[in-house]
Amino acid sequence: MTRRILIWILLLGLVWGGLFVAGCGESREPYVGNYRSLEPYAGQGHVELELKDNGEADWKLTESGKTIKFKWRVENDRLWFYTKDGGIIHVIPSDEGRKLNADLTGQWHPSCPKDKCIIFERVPGKGSP
Amino acid sequence: MTQSNDQIDKLKLEQVGKEVTIPAGIQVVKQGDPPVHFYVIVSGKLKVYRQTDDGIRTDLTELGPGDYFGEVALVTGKPRTASVEAVEESSLLEITKEEFDSVLDQNPKLARRIIYSLSQWLVDGDQRLEKETVHQVKLRQISWFDYLLIGGLSIVLALVFNLYNDNQIPLVYSAGPIPGVETISLEQAVQLYRQDKAIFVDARKSNFYEQAHIKGAMNLPVTFFDLQYPMFQFMLQQQQAPEDVPLVVYGGNISRRFDKELAKLLEEKSDRKILILADYQGWKQAFPLQEQPGKAVAAMPLGISGYIEWIPVGIFLLILIPPVRRSPYLSAACRIILGVIFIDFALSKIMRPAVFANNVVDYMMMPSWGVNLWSLVLPWGELVAGLFLILGIRTRAAATVIGAMNIIFIVGLVKVIMQDLPINCGCVGEAGEPVTWWKVLKNAGMLAMALQIFFYDRLFVLDRGGFIWRERKI
Repeated sequence: MTRRILIWILLLGLVWGGLFVAGCGESREPYVGNYRSLEPYAGQGHVELELKDNGEADWKLTESGKTIKFKWRVENDRLWFYTKDGGIIHVIPSDEGRKLNADLTGQWHPSCPKDKCIIFERVPGKGSP
Repeated sequence: MTQSNDQIDKLKLEQVGKEVTIPAGIQVVKQGDPPVHFYVIVSGKLKVYRQTDDGIRTDLTELGPGDYFGEVALVTGKPRTASVEAVEESSLLEITKEEFDSVLDQNPKLARRIIYSLSQWLVDGDQRLEKETVHQVKLRQISWFDYLLIGGLSIVLALVFNLYNDNQIPLVYSAGPIPGVETISLEQAVQLYRQDKAIFVDARKSNFYEQAHIKGAMNLPVTFFDLQYPMFQFMLQQQQAPEDVPLVVYGGNISRRFDKELAKLLEEKSDRKILILADYQGWKQAFPLQEQPGKAVAAMPLGISGYIEWIPVGIFLLILIPPVRRSPYLSAACRIILGVIFIDFALSKIMRPAVFANNVVDYMMMPSWGVNLWSLVLPWGELVAGLFLILGIRTRAAATVIGAMNIIFIVGLVKVIMQDLPINCGCVGEAGEPVTWWKVLKNAGMLAMALQIFFYDRLFVLDRGGFIWRERKI
């Protein structure tokens, strides 16, 4: 009986340990901060991007003031943005993290496709170097 | 064949035979040889064992000073029933058959003692045989409860985790009628298209859209609706289409996830009338298309996960060798490898079920009501079955579950290849890897491993008859 209880404790420990490791990812710290798109987007001004250290992010259109929230994490030196509908935006940092190249195709590409890429530049604010 | 007896003196054996010294590792008696001598151990240690023609060895016992062996073959006159080998340098009293018979004739007490020993040995042998048989039967047992346990555990864990997950999804996606959205037939849609009285919107992911779409249609992937809707609005303004021109949403599949969800979102956001194609399959035949076939899906580096997945291909080749195929040690290795792979699969999907649900929709095999349930429960099924394999709990049932999953995966992968769908497999990692015949081979290897475990696994098992560390020893 005791052995069975130990087995189940071990089992649950492995499950939660695995999930903990899977959920952690790499440190977000180098990329936390405020960014602004180099080009205007959709005729509504620039996009302001705030990456928070709790894994949440705000994508704001400056003219309309509309904010879209999503989650983000870091893996293999890339940023992964998750929309609430299950879409993934792969973001490739460049210039030592000062620029972020967001691939809006939703697919993984070795580099950001030019016609579907929004380039952000770090701006002063929380988390700026 | 052997029996302890401390009172060798009383048996009057010391008056016959000759003392011999056997170095360690030397076989004194070989299984199958004709009987010649009876032995009494004066000092040292010897082991008794049997070995089958195909090399399976069963250690029977170890003997020390005062024990004797070789009497069974001498009494029955049949070849030796087991082999005896010196574990350390041993001194034995070697007695010929004639001397042995003579001692028995002169000593009825010894004769009775040997008959008793032989009877006892037979009874002990029967008990050992029964114990081993029961143990083997327990190992082979498999019941509906095992599947219920794995399935039930997966469902309960999936539901509880989803309840507390920040990225939770509804259990069932409703693909029923959407208030305010009209459904139109293919013929009506074609008519609107020819008269240029509608704007067609493709709800699928961009790679599907790029592969083939209705000529002139816009793409608004539902997974990026919030982010891309401003651009969509901007492009509509650029087209200067009158406000009364409706939007016709298409691009669904059997899951009806993308087209219905997009129609719903557009109905909430847009001032235009929203229409949705009733026949979600027919547009490819009914409309002029803009196509870009054969565009390869980029492969994301998978790191260690990608390398581990090649191991089943190697195991698949090993399994083709008959003696290796039946090895319980191979089963143990298969359990570890398959367990690690499936836990890896599971952990990459569990945290964000919405991402995996979109991958499930891409396969175009799952009806709308099943997409979310499958996306929630499958990763937990992979995790539970993987852990069961590694820990040695209900391994045959776990292997069956993983085998069944692999069959489903293989069917899905072959369908994707045959239909040239531009998707990643969504198996490991959220972006996954391209669907190729290599991927099918990897899954076939995993299926072969599951079968090998099902038929031959019996070592390192935590439940069912205790934990067995190595090949059986009676």
